[in-house]
Amino acid sequence: MDILVSSLFAGLLIGMVLAMVALGLTIIFGVMEIVNFAHGEFLMVGMYTGLLTAQATGMEPLLTLPVAAAAGFLLGIICYFGFVKFVIRGPMVAQLLGTFGLMIFLRNLALLFFGAEDRAIHQGILVGKSFNIGMGVIAPATKLAAAALSVIAFWAVWLVINRTKIGKALTATSLNPQGARYMGISTERMNALAWGIGGGTVTIAGALLVNFWSVNPFMGLLFTMIAFAIVALGGFGSVSGAFFAGLAVGVITEIPGIWDFLTYIFNFGWMADVPMTSLKYMWVYLAYFVIMIVRPRGLFGWKR
Amino acid sequence: MGYCGEGAPEKAKLMALLEVHNLTKYFGGLKANEDISFSIKKEELVGLIGPNGAGKTTLFNCIAGLYPVSSGKIIFSGHDITALKDYEVARLGLARTFQVYVASGDMTVVENIMVGCFMRTRSRSQAKTRAEQIMKDFKLHDLSDYILSELPVASQKQVAIAAAVGTDPKMLLLDEVAAGLNPSEIEDIMATIQHIHYNMEITVMLIEHVMELVMKISDRVIVLDSGQKIADGNPETIARDPNVVKAYLGERYVHEHAGELT
Amino acid sequence: MEALSSALDFSDFPRLDMIIAGVLGGLLVIFPATPHSAFAMATMIQFLMFSLYGMGWNTIGGYGGQVDLGKAQYVGIGAFTTAVLMVRWDVPFWVSMPIGVCFAVIWSFIIGYPLFRLKGHYFAIATIATSLVLKDIFEVWDFVGAACGIEISPIKYNPPDFLHLIFKEDIYYYYVILGFFFLGILYVNWFRKSRLGFQLRSIKDNEEVAKSLGINVHWAKIKTYAIATSFVSVVGSFHACYIKNIEPEDTMSLDISILIALMAMLGGAGSLWGPIIGAGVLIPLKSYLKEWLGARAGLIGIDLIVYGAIIMLVSAVEPRGIWGIVEKVRRRKRN
Repeated sequence: MDILVSSLFAGLLIGMVLAMVALGLTIIFGVMEIVNFAHGEFLMVGMYTGLLTAQATGMEPLLTLPVAAAAGFLLGIICYFGFVKFVIRGPMVAQLLGTFGLMIFLRNLALLFFGAEDRAIHQGILVGKSFNIGMGVIAPATKLAAAALSVIAFWAVWLVINRTKIGKALTATSLNPQGARYMGISTERMNALAWGIGGGTVTIAGALLVNFWSVNPFMGLLFTMIAFAIVALGGFGSVSGAFFAGLAVGVITEIPGIWDFLTYIFNFGWMADVPMTSLKYMWVYLAYFVIMIVRPRGLFGWKR
Repeated sequence: MGYCGEGAPEKAKLMALLEVHNLTKYFGGLKANEDISFSIKKEELVGLIGPNGAGKTTLFNCIAGLYPVSSGKIIFSGHDITALKDYEVARLGLARTFQVYVASGDMTVVENIMVGCFMRTRSRSQAKTRAEQIMKDFKLHDLSDYILSELPVASQKQVAIAAAVGTDPKMLLLDEVAAGLNPSEIEDIMATIQHIHYNMEITVMLIEHVMELVMKISDRVIVLDSGQKIADGNPETIARDPNVVKAYLGERYVHEHAGELT
Repeated sequence: MEALSSALDFSDFPRLDMIIAGVLGGLLVIFPATPHSAFAMATMIQFLMFSLYGMGWNTIGGYGGQVDLGKAQYVGIGAFTTAVLMVRWDVPFWVSMPIGVCFAVIWSFIIGYPLFRLKGHYFAIATIATSLVLKDIFEVWDFVGAACGIEISPIKYNPPDFLHLIFKEDIYYYYVILGFFFLGILYVNWFRKSRLGFQLRSIKDNEEVAKSLGINVHWAKIKTYAIATSFVSVVGSFHACYIKNIEPEDTMSLDISILIALMAMLGGAGSLWGPIIGAGVLIPLKSYLKEWLGARAGLIGIDLIVYGAIIMLVSAVEPRGIWGIVEKVRRRKRN
């Protein structure tokens, strides 16, 4: 029973951070209907930013968030004006392949600058500490803090989108670009802003993630696919959808733990042989596929 | 339900090709078509008119199988097509064109028409031969190798009709083919429709706002307003029907011109 | 047979194109007789393989407009079918290859039916998802060697072995794949003029209009997808015999899927010559970039940086690819 509870709890924790990762993707897609395959690479950039800032300045890693956010925001804006705005004029195959090119570009740029080894943060006040939540659940302090900060950041973005003028302008453009233009809202500016916010939020997630997940230049793709699954499940363009879907997907990644629990309960020999741990991300991809077929709008999405 | 198919040749000609019984279509709470019934005989040319938003295109879409109906029945050539999908309806011989469509690709005029012809044959040479014949009849032969999206709207519409005719239909639904055309282009389209109707013996039903065209060539006119059928008769009768005038010009006009109307 | 004569009929291409194609075709045939390095030969074989991958992709992705980014899974199906059958039961290539195609077609119908209910971006991402799922399964499936893959040891066979496609010199492989290459061109030439090809192009133009002309869109897409996957599977089987050492990470990765789609897009999706031109540019480029820039003075990854930049450039500047530019120029001259 303990396994089940701690798996679920761990899933929820990681889910909150994953939700943060997916947030940027859903915002960009909501406003521009372009899929950013380089999204995982942005995450990776955020992770390196957090890592290097902390190591260079000796700062508390969790305080590097603003730096990471700024870097991500800038990266998003540069990508938009330097590249994306040209690619959206073309056919879909060009858009898809274009952001793939960006992915390969960023990935190998990182390889060039940072080398291929895994790196992780080993400093900070929370490292090595953990809390006993009861019911046999022991949660590392870093993960708890990351999840908590993720929720706060999520809430902050939600406030910006729904309560500020500029957030409403963003929503207007995503619902009806033409109509929004008649109201004086420049689509170009909103697109750039979407990429800025998209980039900024995912780098925050990166700076959080790097506290308990090591970074290397090749990890982007996995997170891009996870982010897609979350966005599809929650509904393309829906901020709150991304949050709940993130939790769900987080739990899915803890399937090995849940499987162990079920193996224990049912005691079928073959269950122990299934290499669930290696397959755990496969369930995420499958979830994406099944959701898209069964309920293409996702849980909360308003866009098809 | 249904009707027997025997009879003398004249009787066969008089039998209904398309029967619509109590067709109703809701979109959520909005009633787009309400309890519409009519029948069209073989080789009639029927116009479908009505103010904007009356539900004309919706009716076409229901008949052609693009939308599922909320209730009612549609019988075409003896088959109950109510539940059939759009491509199944086309294969039974009921073709249609669209009001607006963006020609995006790189297919030429002849290729577009061949797509329609391919519905009846697997052979490329046969499809091409038939397409070329249609182009000759429609006077599109000079434009044969031009890419559709590069041609003016009037030509694009002619090609769309030609492609639909390529499927060798018994009946053709035309949705506002004259929209946006200048008078000389309207003349051309009218000639095309008459060719289809008289020479190719295809039954035609057309939605139209260009009154000169509809009234001139239709044997019969059906009028819709706010989702309901309000009139069904020959053009002269329709033009003087107070209900029709009211639908287009409002109640006040009817009162002011009461003397001129039947 | 009308189909055969249609496949051999290139008459709707301008004379100039056919002359150039003929010359290049001739050059391809005599290439092994000219002085060349082993590296060049390997690159040429890669070029022919990826041309075929691209041509297969092009049927559903180019003519059909459904951007499929999950072709790598079929490379795997073809490759592993051939490899497993050969290693375990000595099955000749010419038997295992068609079996691989059968598996590919079956799988494509299974996932194609739900897959083609999606469109656009959603479809593309779903193709990636299915490809990754299959790759993950292969990586833990012991029957196909799990993550280590399968190794075909040439010692078991006596090269040159035409039955099992095991040779010592690349020249044999070259002519086998060249044969497939020419057959592939004929097939695509037939396809683009066939009823299915026309249906696909009409679907790409406007799906509703296509349906109004009696086309069962869903089914047409699935059929074409099966054709595309067959192409890929055939080359995958060849790949197994050529490389002799295959693992899921190499043969079924997303990078392969992207590369395949890229061939066609760069050269011109939706045209017969497009994928070949694309492969002709991209494969040598990639190979030689790796040679020259690859591991210079510890600067790992520069070749791929350039590669990524090129992809970005092409998608931003001329997404219709090289052939698209050619056609644009020609059309302007005619008007």
